[in-house]
Formats: sequence, structure tokens, C-alpha cells
Amino acid sequence: MAEAIQKKLKVEVEKYAQMQKEVSKSMSARQKLETQLTENNIVKEELDLLDSSNTVYKLIGPVLVKQDLDEAKATVAKRLEYINGEIQRYETLLKDMEKKSEQHREVLSSLQQEFQKAQGLAVGKV
Amino acid sequence: MAEKGQVDVEHLGGVIRLREEHEKVVKDCESRIQHWKKVSGDYEALNDRLKTLPDQLSYDIMVPFGPLAFMPGKLVHTNEVTVLLGDNWFAKCSAKQAQKIVDHRMKYVKNELDGLSKTIKNFEARVGFAKDLETISASKGDYVDIREEVGNNDSVVTKGKQRIAHKPNSKPKQDVVFDFKEEDEENEEESRDSGSRKCVMTEEELWARLDELEKLEELQDEQDKLSDNGDMNGEDTSSSSSEEEKDADAATPVNGLSLKPGWSVLPSSTAPLRQDRKEEEDFEEEEEANYFPTIYFSHTVEPKKVRINTGKNTTLKFSERKEQKEHSKRKKKNGHSNGHAHHELHKITTPADIYRLFVDVKNGEPIPRKSILKSRSRENSVCSDTSESSAADFEERRIMGRSFSHDEATHSDTSDGITEEDSPTAVLLQPPSRFEAFSGTVIEKDPMPSAVPHLTISPPALPTILERKQEEVAPDVTPPQQAPKRVSKFKAARLQQK
Repeated sequence: MAEAIQKKLKVEVEKYAQMQKEVSKSMSARQKLETQLTENNIVKEELDLLDSSNTVYKLIGPVLVKQDLDEAKATVAKRLEYINGEIQRYETLLKDMEKKSEQHREVLSSLQQEFQKAQGLAVGKV
Repeated sequence: MAEKGQVDVEHLGGVIRLREEHEKVVKDCESRIQHWKKVSGDYEALNDRLKTLPDQLSYDIMVPFGPLAFMPGKLVHTNEVTVLLGDNWFAKCSAKQAQKIVDHRMKYVKNELDGLSKTIKNFEARVGFAKDLETISASKGDYVDIREEVGNNDSVVTKGKQRIAHKPNSKPKQDVVFDFKEEDEENEEESRDSGSRKCVMTEEELWARLDELEKLEELQDEQDKLSDNGDMNGEDTSSSSSEEEKDADAATPVNGLSLKPGWSVLPSSTAPLRQDRKEEEDFEEEEEANYFPTIYFSHTVEPKKVRINTGKNTTLKFSERKEQKEHSKRKKKNGHSNGHAHHELHKITTPADIYRLFVDVKNGEPIPRKSILKSRSRENSVCSDTSESSAADFEERRIMGRSFSHDEATHSDTSDGITEEDSPTAVLLQPPSRFEAFSGTVIEKDPMPSAVPHLTISPPALPTILERKQEEVAPDVTPPQQAPKRVSKFKAARLQQK
């Protein structure tokens, strides 16, 4: 009886560990997105400061490609929007994952209690 | 106490962790600040470079070739700068424009630095606090835990009507409460109830009651000890000393009630703690109960000092405690209180305790000595005389006067001036059977002196002075004079107007 519970416990613990990993992954992805967001904001501001006299280049691989200022502005704006969308998606994902992990935690704790009881019983029996 | 020690250890662990976390944050903040400072330094250098760069059309420089080689070369187009805007975007600008961008970024860096320094300040404060908490938990510091146990209306007197605890469990406290009430005029019903309750008790209940009374006695002895302070202060007062008492009371002012804190420091805990205070790191080695010195604070109520204006620039002090004490004395009729009182008398914790030492023991109860300024011979004069005996005498006289006034009121309606004079005769109809601070009657002011005609309603100040004159004159004239008739000035005015 105690062994069965122990096995169950192990399984649950693994599941829980998995969940935690996923959660942390999405957390880090979200953080990346956030940095990109700030960066693009800065770029946008800089581009606004510039006037059309100076050329804008984009680094694509090892090549600096000339870009139009307006085009650049548009591109940056689009990127910003894309980043924002991504962030929101990740947020919802995180919430779901957290809920799941909570459930898992509860299951784990109940299993642990059972296990302890069983152990106590086993000790009593022995 | 071991449990308490355990709890403290847990607290200590938690507090240690808290402190460590706070310190982590502080360190993190510090590293970030370092980073930003470096960045800002770089930008400063860049700024300088940009300033000087357009000075020349071209510079002869050693161009780095890979990580290990240099090559002589020229730096041309000194005004053209390609600026990284972020996210792989570049812009070609003049040196000045580049400078603007640099300034822009510098601002941003400064903002970051400010924010970080604020957070670091906050967290440093938190760390300090956590350290203090740690020392408290480890019972190392000078911190003393003050605990007040809130009893079940034990001796708490509420501002409004006093309540009886109607719970069956709190019987002893109930008794305390209804002892209070027996002297209180308002709550006669409860005392009647309590009286009837007593009669119903069986023998066993009587034994239980005896036990309760003993507990009560101990309680009351403690309270009496405190109240004796107050009473002594009360009895020895002239107007000046009443002010002193006010000052003393002001020291512990609580809603107009004078409460005296009764506290006792746990003695055993302090001694070992003092030794270990210096060893801050060895708190884990403390084996004994690690509770910090606690002061158990309990509010005990002093007798409620009701100051009643007796119309002669004097005030009487109604002392409930005194009544209760006398009642308890009558009830128990034993010398228990003596023993306790003596022990407690010698423990001086407040300046007022000194008064307690100057007591005469009469009838098994310590009666505070009266000041030598007060003597029987002065009881007839009106000065700021608030001694109990003379006040009681006054009371008796006034009661007497009242009884007479009722008879004479009917006769005197036609008289012009209503001469109500207080004849301070030495004749007392009934010498007071028991010494009370307050007989329950409130003396009202003498309305109008005979000298002044009926029309004027004199201000309060005048009658008193004139009264005094009359009183001093009166003793000579006492035999022919009838007993005094005291009517309030309002009633007098009314009667006059009729």
C-alpha cells in the first residue's frame, strides 16, 4: 500500500517538475519579448528624431542594407505590434500553466499526506 | 516556555531568511548600478570623442586588423557617423546629431540609475529592520516585549454604564463587578439582584463563593494598594496638591479615567539574556527558554475621582474604591488584607507609593494620615478643604439643612430675600456612622446672601465670599439662628419671582 502510494507520488512529482519547466520557459520567452519591446521603442523614438537627410541602414546578416526612413519607421512599428501580441499570448499561456501547476501541487500534497499516513500505519503494523 | 522558545527559533529562521533575501536584492541592485555607471561612463567618452572628431578632416590612425594586428590608416569623413539605433537598425548621422542621440541615451541611463538607487535605499532600510527583528527574535537586544492581557471586563471600567458579565463562567469577575455597583447609585437593581442571588446559594456554593471571594480579595488588595495611592493623594489635598495629582494622572491619561498600569517584568528571563547580549552570533547556542523579557501590562482602574463642586470653591472626591474597600471589609471581617497590604506597601514603584508608607493602621485597615494642615478646628472655615472628615461633616449639616428647608419652604414664600444660610453648627444630628468620602448628596451653592436684595442674581463668585463672611459671623449668632435652609439659586429666583 505504501509502495503504491510512493510510486504515485513519484509520478506526480515528475509531472509537476515538467510543469514547472514549461512555466519557466514561457517566463524567459516573455522576458525576451519585453526587452525587444523596449528596444524597438527606443528605435522608434530615434527614428522620429531623425530627419530624412540621413540614411537608415538595416543589418541583415553581414550586410548593411539601405532603407528608407519612412519604411524603416513602418517596419519598426509593425514589429512593435507583433511583439505586443506575442507578449499577450505568452501571458495567457503562463496563467494557464500556473493554474495547472497549482492543481498539481494540491494533488501532490494530498498524495504526500496519504503516503505519510500509510507509512505511519505500516510502522504501526510492523 | 519551551514552545515559546521554539516559536522564536522559527521566527528567527524566517527573519534570517528575510534578511538574506533583502540583502540579495541589495546586491543585485548594486551590480546593476555598477553596470549603468559603466555605460554612462562610456557615453561620456563617446561624447568627448564626437566633439573632437570633426575638428580634422582626416586622422592618421592605426587600424586594428583582427585581434592581433594593426595597420596604419586614415580616418576620413569625420563628420559621418553611423549610429546603431537598436535591433539591427542603423542611421547615418552627422557628429552633432550623433551627439544628440548620445545625450538622449544618457538621460535614459540616468533614469535607470535613479530608480535603482531608490530601490537600493528601500531595501537597505528593510535589511536594517530585518536585522533588528532578528535581534529581537534572538532575544539579544534591548527590546522588551510588552504584553497586555485583555481580561473579560475584569477591572476595566467602561466610560458608560458598567456592565455585568452575564456569562456563567465568569462568576468571580461578576462578583468584582457587582461589588463595584453596590456603591454606585445608578445600579441599585443589579445589587438587589446580586443580593437575592446570594440568598439562594447552597452550602457548596457558599464554599465556592468563599474561594471566589478570596481571589477577589487578592485582586482587591492589589487594587487597594493602587487605590491607596490615589486615596492618600485625595485626602491630603489642598488645592495645590490636587493639581499635583492631576499632573500625576496626566502622566497616564486615558479618556479621563485615571488608570494605573500594573506591570511586572519577568525576572528570570532578563538575567541570562544580559550575558548573551554581546554574543550576537551564538544565539543558536542558547539552550534555555529564549523568550525575550516581557512586561505584562495590565490596566487596573484607580478609583474614579469625581470632582463635585460643592459650591465653596472646593471639590469632593468620590472614591468608589474606598466604598468598595469598606464594603469588602465589612463582608469578610478578617485581617487578610493586612498581610497583603503590608507586603505591597513596601514595594515602591511610583512616587505615589511613598504616600502609602505613611499610614496609620486602624481597625486592621491602613488609614492614610491626614496632613497636619488639616485639623478639626478648621472644619468650619471655608477654605480649600477637601479632607474627608470635614466634608462628611458638611454633608451631614447640609442634609440636616435640607430636611429643615423642606419645612420652612412653605413658610418663606412671602419673604423678600431668601436667606438661606448655612449654619456651621457643631451640632450634628447624627454623627456619621461610617466615614464616607461621599454621602451621596450633592451640595449646591448658596444662592443669595442676605445683604443683597432679591432682584439681583449674583454671579457665582460673590455668594461664596459672602457666605464665608456669614459663616464666620454665624458661629457667634448660632443659638438664636435656625437651622440653615439651602435652596438652589434658581429655585430661589423662582420663589422670588412669585
